[in-house]
Amino acid sequence: MSGGDNWHPVGLSRSIEAGSSAGTRLFGQELVVWRDTSGVAHVWEDRCPHRGMKLSFGFVRGDHITCLYHGWQYDQGGYCQYIPAHPDLEVPKTIKVPVWLTCEQGGMIWTTLSENPLPMSDDREPTVPLRSLYFGCGVDVAVAALDSIRLVPFATDASADTTVSRVNDMLFAVSCAKDRILIGVQAISDARTAFHLAIRGAPEFYEGTGQNHFLGWALQLRHALEHSAEAANSVVGQEVA
Amino acid sequence: MHENARFAFKGRLRTKSFVEFAHHRAARLGLEIEVGQTSVDSVALNVSGAAELVDAFEMACSLGPLDCLVLDVVRHGSGLAA
Repeated sequence: MSGGDNWHPVGLSRSIEAGSSAGTRLFGQELVVWRDTSGVAHVWEDRCPHRGMKLSFGFVRGDHITCLYHGWQYDQGGYCQYIPAHPDLEVPKTIKVPVWLTCEQGGMIWTTLSENPLPMSDDREPTVPLRSLYFGCGVDVAVAALDSIRLVPFATDASADTTVSRVNDMLFAVSCAKDRILIGVQAISDARTAFHLAIRGAPEFYEGTGQNHFLGWALQLRHALEHSAEAANSVVGQEVA
Repeated sequence: MHENARFAFKGRLRTKSFVEFAHHRAARLGLEIEVGQTSVDSVALNVSGAAELVDAFEMACSLGPLDCLVLDVVRHGSGLAA
């Protein structure tokens, strides 16, 4: 399981503020997601080439991230530019953190582990972030549970059916009447999945009351998925036994 | 400051594993490396590059890969050039 040439969400854009970093995983690979102070998001291997410390424990200053351990500083391209213990050293270009292509779309930060990824669609429609949910099950079990949850509309009082559609390999849309929830699916590992949820629509309409409305739905979704995961794990356990 | 150093790493070495490790570390640190005489208990290396990084190379190789145990490091003929 490696993600092929696809793009994958690794978090809500809102969850990584400028000048901050966080660790995550994609297909078991440890990644640091960080945003420089100019607002550009980066996704790298979460490992300092010096002694292997997680860069997500480091700190962001301007356009570089600094390892917590010995202060090695890396620029936006992943190249080490400064080693505090050897301030006069011209650091060779070979000291470099593997970096992954990164973009932001639909209120989420996306990356790909491929060097030749598929093109990303140009989606500039506004979104309102909801929250990220984490489950102890694989992607297939998590996605299958989406069909069991009904959405209560916010934009209209009229009742309507809930439909689930696939926007791309890792993005689903749950729609009901005029409302649409985007779900970015992150394969953390074979046994862990994250859903990153955002409302498709204008912030001036959905922020506040609309977010609260759908947060309740998100909690129902989490409950249903945890139940599904338990059931799936139970079945797997019986098969193994 | 540029440095040319000759190393002899001695101990209980799996030669192939140790030499691969040394090449990897040298590449990471941007150093030139030549492998000299090798045996199960000694590997000779000529290394050149920034003095600070040659020191870092020595430290890294003194720890070595998991399947090798370096017991002694002999460093000869450091030629320093500004």
